[in-house]
Amino acid sequence: MNNQITLFIFLLIVSVSSAQITISGKVTDNANQPISGANVYLEGTYDGSSTNESGGFSFETSETGTQTLVISMLSYEPHYEMGDVSYFKNITIQLVEAINSLTGVTLTAGTFEAGDNSKVSVLKPLDIVTTAGAAGDFVAALQTLPGTTTVNEDGRLFVRGGDASETQVFIDGLRVFQPFNATANNIPTRGRFSPFLFKGITFSTGGYSAEYGQALSSVLLLNTTDVPDQEKTDISIMSVGGGVGHTEIWGNESLSFNTSYVNLAPYEALIPSSQGVRWNSPYESISGEAVFRSKGEKGIFKLYTGFNHANLDIEQENINFEDFVRFQLTNNNLYFNSSYKHFFAKDWTLTSGASISWDTNDIGIVENRIDAKETGSHLKVKLKKSFSNRFSLSLGTELFNLDYKETFIAPDGFEFDSNYNDQLFAGFAESDIFFSNKFAMKLGARIENTSVLNEFSFSPRLSLAYQSSEKGQFSFAYGDFYQNPQSTILGYDQSLNAEKTSHYILNYQYLDNGKTFRAEVYYKDYNDLVKFNTELPQFDSQYSNSGSGYASGLDLFWRDNKSIENLDYWISYSYLDTERDFRNFRERATPNFASKHNLSVVTKYWVNKLRSQVGLSYNYGSGRPYDNPNTVEFLAEKTKSFNNLSLNWAYLIDQQKILYFSVNNVLGFNNINNYQYANTPNVAGVFDRQAIRPAADSFFFVGFFWTISTDKKSNQLDNL
Amino acid sequence: MKKSILLVLLLTITGIKAQDQYTRGMEKAMKLWSEQKIVDASNLFERIATAEMDNWLPYYYVAMVNTTASFGEQDEQKLSLQLGKAKEYIDIAKNISPNNPEILVLEAMTNTAWIAFDGATYGMTLSGKNVKLYQEAAELAPDNPRVVFGKAEWDMGAARYFGKDTAPYCKDIERSLELFATFKPESDFHPNWGQDRAKSVAEQCKS
Repeated sequence: MNNQITLFIFLLIVSVSSAQITISGKVTDNANQPISGANVYLEGTYDGSSTNESGGFSFETSETGTQTLVISMLSYEPHYEMGDVSYFKNITIQLVEAINSLTGVTLTAGTFEAGDNSKVSVLKPLDIVTTAGAAGDFVAALQTLPGTTTVNEDGRLFVRGGDASETQVFIDGLRVFQPFNATANNIPTRGRFSPFLFKGITFSTGGYSAEYGQALSSVLLLNTTDVPDQEKTDISIMSVGGGVGHTEIWGNESLSFNTSYVNLAPYEALIPSSQGVRWNSPYESISGEAVFRSKGEKGIFKLYTGFNHANLDIEQENINFEDFVRFQLTNNNLYFNSSYKHFFAKDWTLTSGASISWDTNDIGIVENRIDAKETGSHLKVKLKKSFSNRFSLSLGTELFNLDYKETFIAPDGFEFDSNYNDQLFAGFAESDIFFSNKFAMKLGARIENTSVLNEFSFSPRLSLAYQSSEKGQFSFAYGDFYQNPQSTILGYDQSLNAEKTSHYILNYQYLDNGKTFRAEVYYKDYNDLVKFNTELPQFDSQYSNSGSGYASGLDLFWRDNKSIENLDYWISYSYLDTERDFRNFRERATPNFASKHNLSVVTKYWVNKLRSQVGLSYNYGSGRPYDNPNTVEFLAEKTKSFNNLSLNWAYLIDQQKILYFSVNNVLGFNNINNYQYANTPNVAGVFDRQAIRPAADSFFFVGFFWTISTDKKSNQLDNL
Repeated sequence: MKKSILLVLLLTITGIKAQDQYTRGMEKAMKLWSEQKIVDASNLFERIATAEMDNWLPYYYVAMVNTTASFGEQDEQKLSLQLGKAKEYIDIAKNISPNNPEILVLEAMTNTAWIAFDGATYGMTLSGKNVKLYQEAAELAPDNPRVVFGKAEWDMGAARYFGKDTAPYCKDIERSLELFATFKPESDFHPNWGQDRAKSVAEQCKS
């Protein structure tokens, strides 16, 4: 009997549970506009429906008691409503817009990104390396962006009136102490790194995050690839050398390495550089890079290492010497960079890393010898917490240690040692706040304490962005930036202060389906610049922080890869107005590296029939100031303008073999970078001069690139 | 004794009930999908997925519906939302059923939708990923018709792009047709698509 009652009750429950309750209501956005197509359902059950055109929904359920009603819709935050099912009747639910990284506002003032999915990417990784005239040097490709100044004979980045030392380079957030190959005066250098080990490049021309310091003008951030796609071997044979690269993958671990040998001797034998130089032994280098990555469930570890040995022996014309001046250089550079990123529960991320570099230069100038040794290390820990996709906070601390030793030996046996050691401690905090899809803010601050100068600094950073229309947005950035004086100066005088700039940047960006337009105006205020009373910094110079200056200008960028089929092009224009009093300047003036107008036009055209990509780049820089001692004015005259048209052609022989050909300055413009004047006037009382010109006007390059991979499909087009 | 029989009986009843619900739900979602009611189909698959946390199939279909709807989509915002959702559900499906060749083929399809939308932007980075996905899938299930067909079609596309002979891949397409003819899905709802497309590609091979 009892059992039968139990059975009856059970069956009753089963049937009761099949009794239906109707759940209904309406879904709107915060402007009370109905949302159709939203998914409304009771969590963990099959009961639910989609909203109709007027945002309404209605469905039956047999569930009882307390339930969770879920409302989910693309591009809105999911909404959860908890309560007894009987309450879910004629309810109205307002969904909150989700922060959308693709269409929402982004903080863009001062920043150029080259990445895959980022909205702020103006260049794709491939663009970096297929730009005519860049010849595989990603720094050269960045010089086609606005905000940079063409300084043909240097090869490094000169940003918005700043000199090359004002830009710092970071790999995976860690400082690279010597990012460029060592070279002689007036012989352009190249970046040490091959671009294909990196998945993303961020180039900031000002107003950057509090995470980075010790750069007055600009930071260049490189991120190594997390997980390579496939195993492959790359072989390259070039008119200037050769290289071998390989990627090996074991499960979650992978190793990529890349070695290359460059020797300019055969090229120089064929087409000798004739303009004011004689090579005794042209540039020769052997270099290797390797990245090891290990990806776990919760974290990723990376180790990057690079080695470079280079030597050259050159004689250069100098108006103050009867003979050519001999310059010999042997450089060794070893760099390690390791980082570990761990993802904790509740959206905490810990990033820690260390980098260390050893760099030695053995330099011979005429009969004098200089041996310099620099050891740098960087330790960094950063903790980030995302409270929601609207608010995140980063906190970090870092320690730099720099040890510099230099010995000068004159032929008469005179020796002078200079050295210094600096420990720089820094801490930073920064928050990203998205008030809505239209308005965002990044607010941060950085503190630094440097032992060599015994100085403490505080730098606020602020960045705001407002989306004014569907495709357009305004950004503003402000920041203070400090940088210690250069090693060569700190070795002689440590009573100086850090140099300082403040940036004010206003940016407008318009994005429309394959078309990008950016305009940026900025003002930079320089203070405490180092001055000295000799031509070059020397042990017996008098130093002070009495220099100052400003830079202001307008940068424009236009890119379009949609309007004409198979054609991709971009145009950059920079207007720069800058004056500064620094180094041995006798008054405020525009320095030689700052030309007023810079223009770059880069085009790439894919010819399907020929399986070729043809690229043309044109660079223009207006005349650069130089000082004529025959006049009373200081740095008042200007060279003629700089022009360069470069061409490249990549031909795919088949899927894995590429033939590559490029010519730099194909029209052979005779560019003049500067003038060098005699120290003493001639018999007529006039200071003689000679033009400083590139060692050769044009440069030719031919290469053959072969990739061997199991799928027989990849090629090195992205390495060129 | 009686009690335990009763318990078994009741468990069976509720079991059948739950299974029915799943079958009914899946059938209804399939029907909505075939009627091109993309949003409704995706929403229903999503509801089934949240109720059947251990079954990879509804997750697979949420991703599938959103991926197929993205081919030919010109609105970048809509495309990225749909493909973002597809990726999210593929990742969950992979967690439920690791080393599943069907999910890998679907993931490659999602990448292909990106490439079809903007080859210049996504081709270089995603095509390498697809090669790897098809390779992995072929190692796991060398005789799965969708794996054989998907890989062959992808390889053909690449060969055509480089002006190479596509004939060797036609043999693979033919082979996939043989495999399609004998393929038996594990259940009514396990993936069983692709035969029609393989036939039309095979036709192109002959012409």
